[in-house]
Amino acid sequence: MSGKGFFVRRYEELGWKCEDVEPKSAIRINSINVGKADIIRRLQLLGIELEKIPFLEEGYWIHRSEFSVGATAEYLLGLYSIQEAAAQIPATLFTELKDKIVLDACAAPGGKTVQLADLMQNTGAIIALDVKRQRLSALANQLERCRVKNTIACLLDARNALQLKIKFDRILLDVPCSGNFATDRDWFNRRTLEDVERNAALQKQILTEAARVLKDDGEIVYSTCSLEPEENELNIDWTIENLNLKIERISCHGEKAPTSIFGKQLDSSIENCMRIWPGKTQGFFVCKLKKSETA
Amino acid sequence: MMKRTKDFENRVGTEICLDESLIVEKQNRYFLLDKKLKELIWNNFFYGGIYLGKTKNGKFFPSFMLLSMIATKKKANKITVDEKTAWLFICGRDVFRKGVTKVMGSMKKGDYTLVLNEHGECLGFGKILRTLDKEKGEVAVKNISDIGDFLRREKLQDHGER
Repeated sequence: MSGKGFFVRRYEELGWKCEDVEPKSAIRINSINVGKADIIRRLQLLGIELEKIPFLEEGYWIHRSEFSVGATAEYLLGLYSIQEAAAQIPATLFTELKDKIVLDACAAPGGKTVQLADLMQNTGAIIALDVKRQRLSALANQLERCRVKNTIACLLDARNALQLKIKFDRILLDVPCSGNFATDRDWFNRRTLEDVERNAALQKQILTEAARVLKDDGEIVYSTCSLEPEENELNIDWTIENLNLKIERISCHGEKAPTSIFGKQLDSSIENCMRIWPGKTQGFFVCKLKKSETA
Repeated sequence: MMKRTKDFENRVGTEICLDESLIVEKQNRYFLLDKKLKELIWNNFFYGGIYLGKTKNGKFFPSFMLLSMIATKKKANKITVDEKTAWLFICGRDVFRKGVTKVMGSMKKGDYTLVLNEHGECLGFGKILRTLDKEKGEVAVKNISDIGDFLRREKLQDHGER
């Protein structure tokens, strides 16, 4: 079960007509390192035309630039990060990040870790995990460039987070996923339903471990850049049934997630998850979880 | 570690106060933690808090975070360079005297100096090759380390959240 026709038919069943898209490049201002007005003016002087992303506080689309925005002094000084617009959403969904103990469970290459540190104004602590040393080097590079001070990065599989012996106030689960065709031209040729199911199983294991290390009043934000329901709505439906977690209502760009998937009726609270179909942004899925009162 | 940072600080004409009890070492790399991070640090950590620098073959290489901390000190040796020189410096080039718009601290040959852009941001550091008070069209500061290194490292790493 693979191929463009197979997946496109699935998207149509979910209510979206597949079309060719080209997500715009975007940046996010690291507000702790620079004033917004100051950096916008500096980038404009370099000839970079920006367009404010309406649904993000610190995000701007690159409207026009004659050179890579990753090759400016301002970038190298950590005044902004290159981060796709939809990918900027998950970290903004937490409440009260200052002074909290935060787990970024699948952190590398670190765009969202830096964003969390910025939102926390370098207070509290972030524990950032990844399973590959090379990816941790990329993460460390980002942390140093953006002058992040509140993060510990560890070589550890998120499925073993209990080994840290820490209970977390906030957990970001931007889990490994199948991705989507908007950012990978070869996606339809490379991916099969078996890949999707394998990733969905891994994501359930990560969700299970996250529930174990979450404080009673803590919050989990779960996100993927996959369009496949197995990795999104179906996984979250499984989560609320098995992990004593409930879905919190969130307000962000996107549309309510469907509660009926390929003939299966899901818990009605699944509509509080948000699904972003590709367009100006890549495809994305995001939701916020808290412990159920009965837990 | 403290001796190594102190030696470096002396070469740029100043010193900063670091709490030695909060400095941790991991494979010749040094990190400054705060009390909260110190409580949470795990044996198998890879990176933590403020990265201060690394030692290799007994020589200390300061991080850009440490350089930025030193740059806030009034007494530190610093030069400000014009926009074109700043860009060339980030690209790994040395600094010519004509690109230097301001000199603070030592102008002495052999000393280290931080290199700042017109916004006062630290771009790296270099070694003073000839006395900076003379107007000459020659290389004045030899580039030792610049923030273009982040880009050079990125190119070596196969990653992309783009």
